[in-house]
Amino acid sequence: MNLKKTIGSWITDRFDVEKIREPINYQLKKPLPPHTGWFHTLGSLSLFLFISQVLTGILLLIYYRPTIREAFESVQFIMTKPYLGWLYRQVHAWGGQLMIIIVFLHMLRTFITGSFKKPREITWISGVILFLTTLGFGFTGYLLPWNQLAYWATTVGTEIPAAIPWVGDWLKTFLRGGPNVGGETLSRFFVIHVIILPWAVFFLIAMHLFLVRFQGIATLDPVGEEKDIGKKGIPFFPHHLLKEGVVFFILLGVLVTLAIVFPFELGEKADPMQTPHAIKPEWYFLPMYQVLKFAEKMWGLLIISLAPLFLFLWPFLDKSRPRNPLKRPLSMTFFVLVLLSLLIFGLMGYFSEKNVKIFNTDYHIDIYGMPHKILPNATTEPTHEK
Amino acid sequence: MMIPAARSESGSASACVSCHEDIWGEVKDSIHAKQGMSCHHCHGGDPSQKDSALAKAPGTGYIGIPDKKQLTQTCGTCHSDVAFMNPYGTRTDQLARYHTSAHGKALFEKDDKRVASCSDCHGYHDVLQVSDPASPVYPFNVPKTCATCHANEKLMSQYGLPADIFEKYKNSAHGTALLEKKDTGAAHCASCHGSHGAIPPGVSEIHAACGKCHINEQSNFLGSVHAGLAPDKKFLQCAACHGFHDIQPASPELFSQSCIRCHTDESPAFLVGKTIQGQVETAEQTFHTQDQNIQSARSEGIFTQDEEAMLSEMKTHLIEMTTKQHMLKEGKIAPLLETIESQAKEINNTLQAKRNSIRWRFLALIPLWIFIVIMVIAFILKYHRMDRNE
Repeated sequence: MNLKKTIGSWITDRFDVEKIREPINYQLKKPLPPHTGWFHTLGSLSLFLFISQVLTGILLLIYYRPTIREAFESVQFIMTKPYLGWLYRQVHAWGGQLMIIIVFLHMLRTFITGSFKKPREITWISGVILFLTTLGFGFTGYLLPWNQLAYWATTVGTEIPAAIPWVGDWLKTFLRGGPNVGGETLSRFFVIHVIILPWAVFFLIAMHLFLVRFQGIATLDPVGEEKDIGKKGIPFFPHHLLKEGVVFFILLGVLVTLAIVFPFELGEKADPMQTPHAIKPEWYFLPMYQVLKFAEKMWGLLIISLAPLFLFLWPFLDKSRPRNPLKRPLSMTFFVLVLLSLLIFGLMGYFSEKNVKIFNTDYHIDIYGMPHKILPNATTEPTHEK
Repeated sequence: MMIPAARSESGSASACVSCHEDIWGEVKDSIHAKQGMSCHHCHGGDPSQKDSALAKAPGTGYIGIPDKKQLTQTCGTCHSDVAFMNPYGTRTDQLARYHTSAHGKALFEKDDKRVASCSDCHGYHDVLQVSDPASPVYPFNVPKTCATCHANEKLMSQYGLPADIFEKYKNSAHGTALLEKKDTGAAHCASCHGSHGAIPPGVSEIHAACGKCHINEQSNFLGSVHAGLAPDKKFLQCAACHGFHDIQPASPELFSQSCIRCHTDESPAFLVGKTIQGQVETAEQTFHTQDQNIQSARSEGIFTQDEEAMLSEMKTHLIEMTTKQHMLKEGKIAPLLETIESQAKEINNTLQAKRNSIRWRFLALIPLWIFIVIMVIAFILKYHRMDRNE
């Protein structure tokens, strides 16, 4: 007790604690709208995953070597030699996947509850940038183990911007650091992944959180008709924080379980002379990758760049006042259609160039995702034209 | 008279072609035509004469179709000329060697025209470079080229030679490697018998013939008790156990099959053979078991590069063992077997440790989830208690 008092008085002698206590208490006790539920914990979960990625990333950095000669071997070393190296590598790999899912779900919740509407347009835009940065983390981090899949997925991925008129080739060279994916690509992806993006995300999260706390959580009241929450609200501390604690523990368990039960395999070391069959990007890029197959490169790029453009502009396009999803049928129909198209194109991309069995019949799914029945005596895959 | 040098006139400039156009068709793609040689370099005659009679007139050196003896001399004119052949990087002792061969001796000493001379193996007008895969003396084609005569039962019976050599060779370890796996390094007829100096290796030279490729086996064999038996010409060295043309991939089983031909099954020599057989079989089995063990660990997602490195070392010892067995000294094999067995044990132990570690990871999930469930229940209870109090 004496020690606590001594420390307390040491601090109060030097800082005007009373001045800070008031705003802190205000933030802690600030009531949240009554509809605040489990889905409102997705933002905190995204933050938790970001912190987990930073911590496990720092541990990986102790052993990782970003050169084409050592990258693969150093990851192999991490997975076999250092104490719990396998665990933090797997937690980092799964954390990246879960972060994309959780950030995406957080955006869906924000869209469905109409929280992006006035006056929270900037919060929404900073959220969209955070989502795109998370995808950037995935794209740059995927190359770092320098294995076959990573090498070829990056080769295909960095080829896409080349279709942009005038600046395409320059952009491709800028991304790769040369005409091909190689040591230069690895070092610049490494710098982007461990320095540029983490700091960018850090400041974006700070801004995003400040805006969320400053403007408060949106109610379901229509724009301009927001009622005072008053005593109906839920205190952030300890009520909502307890909920966040529950999902935090569950997420921690899921993350460790996935790392142990479904570990990511390292595969073969990158070999520029050996192209594997059916190169595909990570699952979250599959819908975009599938769309690109159907259109000329430039038109495909135009179509896929509409998605982030719409995300940025949505608060300014949808200026209707209701926030309740049941009172926004047009907006929700559009939302369902977008989700369905992501799912369909994603599945087509996933199953393309594979043989599958449907109702006891073998089908070959071609590059465009179209099934072709495999004839019993066929020795080659069925031919098809676009 | 033959003209050894000045091979400048091409076939197109030779008057011979005006009548023998069909033959020039065979010659024009040959290595000789490409080097500017023409008809008269082998057949004599005057290529500048358009009249056939004048071209073949006495004094022009015209010999027509050379017989076998003339042919070898004609080829040898250039191919024994060191100064001339030097730029082509080919040997110049072919004719000299031919004279020492069974073929050459029969031709020149016994005037036997049935034996092979240059054109029987290399062709006539359409001679190709040895490195050309279409050449009859390209490694893949040598066995068939030799078989032209050596599989001719009627011809071989006149010399008391077997005519089934090609059939035996075709199915041998060497034949399969050369003809099926297309391994140009595999032994063919000329590898053991020589090409221009073709002669069956004598009993005392068998190890030298095999040792051209199997160096370590030869050197270990020379340290064995069998090496001293060679001068007696009773023991066929390598061939005594492995056979000749129908050599099959060797296995430790050979000890049981071959030793018994000379030794009784109770003799100490036979028992030494059986012991070595057991040692090699155990080593091979140990290696195979660990190879399977590593493969199955890899399919379980376990990193096995350390174990694979140990397996490579085991392989090196196994190879050393397979060459050292030719010394027929069990004491030389035993330390290698001991090393292989201890390495196998180490592989087994490290893989088992890795498997245990994975099992522990799964078991660790139980207390983790118990802790998580307790925390979740505690948080929810606390939440509801606070809710009720308000």
